[in-house]
Amino acid sequence: MSATGLRITDLHARVEEKEILKGIDLVVEPGKVHALMGPNGSGKSTLAFSLTGHPKYQVTGGTVTLDGEDVLALPADKRARAGLFLSFQYPAAIPGVKVANFLHAARQAVRPDSLPPAKFRKLLMDKMETLDMDPVFMGRYLNDGFSGGEKKRLEMLQLAVLAPKYAVLDETDSGLDVDALRAVGDAIGSLRASDEGKDTGFLIITHYPRILQYVAADVVHIMIDGRIVKTGGPELANRVEREGYDTIREEIGAIA
Amino acid sequence: MPSATLAGRERPGRYWKIDLDTLELPAGDGGTVEIAAPAARGLIACTLEQAENDHAALLARVYGRTAAQSTKFGAMTVAQRGPGAFVYIPADVSVDEPILITYRGGTACYPYTVVLAERGARATVIERVEGGAGTTFCGIVEVVTEDHADVTVASLQLLPDDARAIATRDAKPGPNARVAWAIADLGAALTVGSADARIEHEGANVDIAALFFPRGTQHVDLITTVDHIAGHATSETIVKSAAAGRGQARYLGNIRIVKDAQGSLAHLHDDALLLSKTAHIDSVPALEIAANDVKAYHGATVGAIDAELLFYMESRGIARDAAERMIALGFFEPAIARFPTESLREEIREGLRAKIG
Repeated sequence: MSATGLRITDLHARVEEKEILKGIDLVVEPGKVHALMGPNGSGKSTLAFSLTGHPKYQVTGGTVTLDGEDVLALPADKRARAGLFLSFQYPAAIPGVKVANFLHAARQAVRPDSLPPAKFRKLLMDKMETLDMDPVFMGRYLNDGFSGGEKKRLEMLQLAVLAPKYAVLDETDSGLDVDALRAVGDAIGSLRASDEGKDTGFLIITHYPRILQYVAADVVHIMIDGRIVKTGGPELANRVEREGYDTIREEIGAIA
Repeated sequence: MPSATLAGRERPGRYWKIDLDTLELPAGDGGTVEIAAPAARGLIACTLEQAENDHAALLARVYGRTAAQSTKFGAMTVAQRGPGAFVYIPADVSVDEPILITYRGGTACYPYTVVLAERGARATVIERVEGGAGTTFCGIVEVVTEDHADVTVASLQLLPDDARAIATRDAKPGPNARVAWAIADLGAALTVGSADARIEHEGANVDIAALFFPRGTQHVDLITTVDHIAGHATSETIVKSAAAGRGQARYLGNIRIVKDAQGSLAHLHDDALLLSKTAHIDSVPALEIAANDVKAYHGATVGAIDAELLFYMESRGIARDAAERMIALGFFEPAIARFPTESLREEIREGLRAKIG
């Protein structure tokens, strides 16, 4: 079916009065890994929030469909239930809400045919082991007092538990040490190897190419100033690694 | 100081429609008390009447020894004389299971609870009030502990929405002793509560946790006061409140540290969550500190549910109303955690869930 995929067409979005996205075209196919790279302020996070329905981000034009369904017409919770997931760069801390209860509520919401409690616990334990997380996490309040690395692991745990159709990872790699980075890579890898997650499409937003050493990207996009200016294979990430964004900027400057 | 009197800038503004100074209450028409206590060596848990007859000397060590009777509503409790309970925990006795005191009232009930813990004694008291439509409760709880004793008094009030619940609570912890108040006011049209402690001995520790949640047209007025008269003692006060509909509340958190109470450590933290545009909570932390070598902290927040928290939950598929409910319930958790027994905590959560709707 031609409508398959997370299809973003000519997407424009603004924050307050400032236009940030100036026409994004991008298709993430099921089971594929797309990397979206770009310098700070290029609009990467705005794309992530616009896709997932953050109230502060206003879509002013374009379409987004998820396997044919109009995503922009849905409130944030229904986008998640349609199969869209966002790993936050700065996840919110919610005191008083236990991780286990939150995960259970989220799983129930996204997959209403959900597992009986015992199987759900088993699923959690398995996924936590993959992520090298202590089971005491389950009794802690959501992100409350968590270190940066713990928050990112919890985001990956949610990814694993919810097994979305499409996952947008917003700088999940930022601020992580090598061990945490490997855990993130393992979490994505094990989801892709599972029945639930074998068709999950990824949009991995990153500033640096190093996460791509742990998750191989099929396609790499470069975003500058609210537009995708270049799309290529994994070699594009290597180029960013070597040269930074300046030569790409010069190149597109020359074209424009 | 009559703790129900509103003074100076705390005087009711346009939101506060009930004048506590002129509030009149119906005459008492009795009421009953049910006391359930576990077996423990020398423990006395009986009615106040029985204590007056059989344990007058013990009772005299607590009854009227705090400032509770000198408040406006405390004086009414004494004058109207309803059912009462007396709990005495002898030295070095640790009562592991909570002592349950339940008052049942008719039109107006004026209950009086007295707790005496001797040196090294430990106990938890859970007090409830139960009544029908339109009932009024106006009670006192007095606690005196000797050195190294540890007493927690928790109260849960789930009266009908047209009831009035007034409670005056005062405690005097002994040297190195602990007194904890845990107060959950979820029912009644009007709740007027105080939870006070006067620290006259070094090494004492006072914990106050309170939560309340007016909705509809409910009013809550709560005052907590910790007086640090002796130094090298600690107090921690945590208050969590929410208001929905046209619910209104005022919380006044007093911490007073006198000049000679050097080395005191006092924390006061209160958070108020507004769940509707017409709800109102006045939150007034009031610290008077005359000593120079003390640590006193206070923090207060008032606000609606954070939009970022909501979006985070919604982005996980949780519908907005369910997300709001989870966040609001979670908001109370740090105060709920201070209550004894999981079944009481669960009952409080259940009461909150019903109010959040």
